[in-house]
Amino acid sequence: MSEERETRLFMISPGSMLTPDQMVRMIHSFGDEVLVKETCYGCLVEGPRDLVIAVRDKIRENYRNEVFTKVRAYPCSDPRRCRAQHGTRPGFAQLEMEWELLARIQYGLAQVEKGAVYVPAKEKKRISVNDFKKICEVQQ
Amino acid sequence: MKIFIDPPNSLVLFDLVERFGHQPLSTMAAIQERVDNIEVDMPPMNVTLDDVVKGLKYAGVEVPSGVRGRLAMWGPLIEEADAAIVMDDCPYSFGCVGCERSNLMVKYLLKRRGIPVLRVSYPENDEQAVNFVAQTKEFLEGMK
Repeated sequence: MSEERETRLFMISPGSMLTPDQMVRMIHSFGDEVLVKETCYGCLVEGPRDLVIAVRDKIRENYRNEVFTKVRAYPCSDPRRCRAQHGTRPGFAQLEMEWELLARIQYGLAQVEKGAVYVPAKEKKRISVNDFKKICEVQQ
Repeated sequence: MKIFIDPPNSLVLFDLVERFGHQPLSTMAAIQERVDNIEVDMPPMNVTLDDVVKGLKYAGVEVPSGVRGRLAMWGPLIEEADAAIVMDDCPYSFGCVGCERSNLMVKYLLKRRGIPVLRVSYPENDEQAVNFVAQTKEFLEGMK
């Protein structure tokens, strides 16, 4: 991965009360020399990798389970991707699907922090022939 | 440790892997290298000759070029990975859509490498989401 430039996408969970505008103002208030672009789902942050990681950590301190993040391959406002510059924005379908999932993941993270553990699903068993016969007889 | 995620462009898996202290190996990083360093029009739609040759390592010449192109990007990541998390039963438009054969090939390559692989189901409700997060956390903490 390039050490020079990192563009990160921050997406707010639908279960959060935070708005993209509030998040962008918060990132500006950190005072790091990064480029911040507000979007409908959250924001994009671009800059040297160590600064972007620092911004990520500060956001996590305040909104631990409400803001999710991943790296974005293309820079902010790249004409090949940015819709404002008539780009195709091909990744948006995936982001939309993930956005729907985030409220559940937020709930899952909160429960795990409270001590929830993995419970394997019960194995499905085949019923015996006699039980199956009884079911069939009842339905007749 | 380096964890390969499948779907390789998933925000949720990328975030969870980072959150629990590992380095996710994703498509985005592979594409970023091409965006920053290679003069091609629009990666990953456009590839170089080297990519096509790289893809031949993971899929035969008779395999459609789309599969080879995808594997040229994901194959080196799988080789680099110490472990992997695979999400099964995703909705149609979740993940890299367009080629189910590539997705099957990725699962095959992971199996052939013999690294620890966690298979999780797409969470359909809150209860499954708790199980999904807990399972992922246990797996990732066990990898340290």
